[in-house]
Amino acid sequence: MSWDTCALCPRLCRSACPVATGSGREAAVPAVIAGTMLDVERGVLPESLGREALTLCTDCGACQEHCHLHVPLPAMLREARVERVPRPALEALQPIQGMGDWIAVESDERPFAEALSKALKVPVRRWATSDHLGVEVLPFPDFEQRLERIRGRVGAARVVVISGGVAKVLEAAGVGFQWLHEVVRDLPGGEGSCALGGSRPLGCCGAAGPLKSFHPDDAARTGRVWLDRSEEWVVRDARCRGHLNGCGGQVKDPLDALLERQ
Amino acid sequence: MMVPEVPNSTEILDRYAASRDLWPGGTLAFWHGESAPRPARVFWPENEAQVAEVLQAASAQGIPVVPYGLGSGVCGGARGREGSWVVDTKRLTHLGPLDEERWTLQVGAGVNGQQLEDALQGRGFTLGHSPSSISCSSVGGWAAARSAGQFSSKYGVFEDMVLGLTFVTPTGRILEIGTHGDDDPALLPLILGSEGTLGIVTRLTLRIWRTPESRWLRGYRFSTVEDALDAMRRLMQAELWPAVVRLYDPVDTRIGGKTKPKSAHESNRRFVRRWLAKAGEIDAIKKRTLALPLSLPGVVNRIFDGVSSGCLLIVGWEGRPAVVEAQTAAGRAILEERGEDLGAGPGNRWFQSRHAVSYKLMPVFERGGFADTMEIAARWSDLPRVYESVREAVAPHAVVLAHMSHVYPEGGSIYFSFAGRGTREVYEAVWNAAQDAVLAAGATVTHHHGVGSLKARWAAAEVGPAVEGWRELKDRLDPNGVMNPGRLFVPVPPRDAGPDPRLHEIDGMLRVHVDAPSSERDAECALLGAEQMFPWETLPAPPRWTHSHWQVGWVEVSGRVGAIQARLGRGPRSATGPDLRHWLADQGECRCTIPTVPAGDRWVGAGRCPNPWRVARELLRSDLRPARLEVVKGELIVGFRGPTARQLGQVASRWVPGGLVEREWTPFSLPSGPLEACSLDDPACVTVTAQGGFRRVG
Repeated sequence: MSWDTCALCPRLCRSACPVATGSGREAAVPAVIAGTMLDVERGVLPESLGREALTLCTDCGACQEHCHLHVPLPAMLREARVERVPRPALEALQPIQGMGDWIAVESDERPFAEALSKALKVPVRRWATSDHLGVEVLPFPDFEQRLERIRGRVGAARVVVISGGVAKVLEAAGVGFQWLHEVVRDLPGGEGSCALGGSRPLGCCGAAGPLKSFHPDDAARTGRVWLDRSEEWVVRDARCRGHLNGCGGQVKDPLDALLERQ
Repeated sequence: MMVPEVPNSTEILDRYAASRDLWPGGTLAFWHGESAPRPARVFWPENEAQVAEVLQAASAQGIPVVPYGLGSGVCGGARGREGSWVVDTKRLTHLGPLDEERWTLQVGAGVNGQQLEDALQGRGFTLGHSPSSISCSSVGGWAAARSAGQFSSKYGVFEDMVLGLTFVTPTGRILEIGTHGDDDPALLPLILGSEGTLGIVTRLTLRIWRTPESRWLRGYRFSTVEDALDAMRRLMQAELWPAVVRLYDPVDTRIGGKTKPKSAHESNRRFVRRWLAKAGEIDAIKKRTLALPLSLPGVVNRIFDGVSSGCLLIVGWEGRPAVVEAQTAAGRAILEERGEDLGAGPGNRWFQSRHAVSYKLMPVFERGGFADTMEIAARWSDLPRVYESVREAVAPHAVVLAHMSHVYPEGGSIYFSFAGRGTREVYEAVWNAAQDAVLAAGATVTHHHGVGSLKARWAAAEVGPAVEGWRELKDRLDPNGVMNPGRLFVPVPPRDAGPDPRLHEIDGMLRVHVDAPSSERDAECALLGAEQMFPWETLPAPPRWTHSHWQVGWVEVSGRVGAIQARLGRGPRSATGPDLRHWLADQGECRCTIPTVPAGDRWVGAGRCPNPWRVARELLRSDLRPARLEVVKGELIVGFRGPTARQLGQVASRWVPGGLVEREWTPFSLPSGPLEACSLDDPACVTVTAQGGFRRVG
């Protein structure tokens, strides 16, 4: 695939892109990123500009869903990022602590394993991660080795998650998992994440992901724009919760509900 | 340099992204690897005060300003300018409140059209504005370039939807006009269409409608363009108000395979797609796939002409079922005199793909060509000549096809599509030939794409010495001349417009002096055996129920500016900048044309009800579009013209307890002079719109 089609397009993907609509930056429109890449490849723009443009994409996939021509732009941008953007640092996998058939992947400071154990009345093992098992490195080829290690560590245990990043990595590793609200009944969880908070379902904005590292101002503004759309927010993904609360929101997720109940 | 503390960027990436809009000339240059002029800084103001800060700072320092919305303009109105400041309106995303009592909505200039429509539809309303660019254009852009949507014959064009706006000038003033505040309402028609050359529209209040309960769409095949145009004209002049009327010329009909069942042309398309896909696998071939045929446009045009016959008309009505039923029955009688009914298929296919236009042009660039479009407007009597003239002028340079949409009782627009070999020389030759031909044929050079930099010299030639009206205002609002320089009008030698063109019977218009009293106009109408269609003064009265009191009812105005004759309103509607017709009329003696309706079916009924103005407003909201609507001594009088008059009268009777009693049709007097909004319960209320009541000022 080449960048040509997107570079010439009337930018119909703009309204689907959470970063472009959130930040208001024309440079973040997926079709404009494609145009930038075309100009980088033919030497009109410097390579450094291409790298910067590529980091404006959160890989949420909304542009492809919206595209009338079904251009696989997210995959093209993913591939280009692997080639051009330096690989983020990867933290070592933490050991899984405790005993039992269940594993709770703790992706923030809250005592997820303990709460789950109380709710299920069974022992739950704690697997802490501060980088969502390394989701930002997922597209890079050498991540395959980590996936292998993840498969080995989990074995036959039942994994419960609260983070979309963790879920993405486990999915790539072929490891089965369940969301917290699927395991503990009567917790808010629903079908989508942000759909619970607003009158209209919203796709994942991805602002809590790499955008936060590369363009913190845009990530914060995107978060605030999303918060403006609803009075009350309940999200499924602890990563979104953390980001939106960092943007001044009062956002809850199923784990908050469980901790409150206990 | 003084830089206001408003979110902004000097990063190359942001300046690069704001350097190009969707002008195909810019796309062609980009495709050839040429760099577009880059602005120096991009601002993202979040409110009017921030817009004012940026504009004031730019004006004080003489820095040119380019307003940028969603960048979907196709005439280069928002393209980059070296060293300029770009004011990106995307953070002006205010939406609401939606007033369900008045049927209005306030909206920020940066709101995306489709998102606005989605929000309205979620509440059971629609704006009725559906340009094919709706997914990639903003409300501010619609105001700047006087947009028109695919349902314009029912809901009106964009200026018909504006009830008020907020406007920021480079002197730092924040003007609140119309329903927004007390600044001079006469500025409204001068701001809409000014394409960012006077200041920036930041917020608008728009009229909205209930989503239609039913929709009727159908395709008709006509042997000739002339036959189809005749049917279209009669639909509009019979006041049947179809929502959609789109005629595809024989070449467009042939290329699109639009009159055949889908299965009949799908196999051919599949073959072409397979062939293009094969060719596309080899880059060097792909980039020349169209270069060869497009380098022989004369031959290709002749081939297309030879194999094309018959044209497709898509026509549709929407609204309350009882009204749609009456209108479609009368419409079919006109359409089926010379048209072959193709059923609902073509109409439904068009509806499903009505926004899928722009991105289809990209493969033409990728394969060594260019594609562009030009929309013009003319009176009914001029349309066939304009159509032929433009085709003849462009044919040596590019393949040309056309469709005709946006129809009015007085005329319509033609939307030409060109495809040519992708070089700057060919591109410029096409535009020079096409716009010169439009002006020579007496039509307006733009109907709804605006002017930008592409058409600036032809727009200036068309408007002629009346450009002075815009210049006067620019000197007042933008004294340092920083707003969007080089766009809209550029200096050209003022050309005398010459004598007024002869009026043709089929256009149904009458030419009178602007200050002629109503008795003289009535006498002129009597000579024609016609009735004045629209009110003389500017007021929100039926039947132009989509119009506001700041809009003029005239079609064409001609008069002198100094020693030179100017003529505005060459088509039923023009987007060559702001509406300067009132300004021209104020310059001294001048003449204007007013629309009339011929004698024919009429029905009028009267009845008493507790609050007649409230019932009158409900009638306006009911899709009935009465030709007359008045309250005389507490009695409601409702009248209809045309083939549906009697049926619609019966439907209207349902709103009045005891019904409407038929009476003789007599001329009626319309309220005139300046009006101001009032409650429907106000005893001084003299007229209503679907949005509210009005009383005379003074």
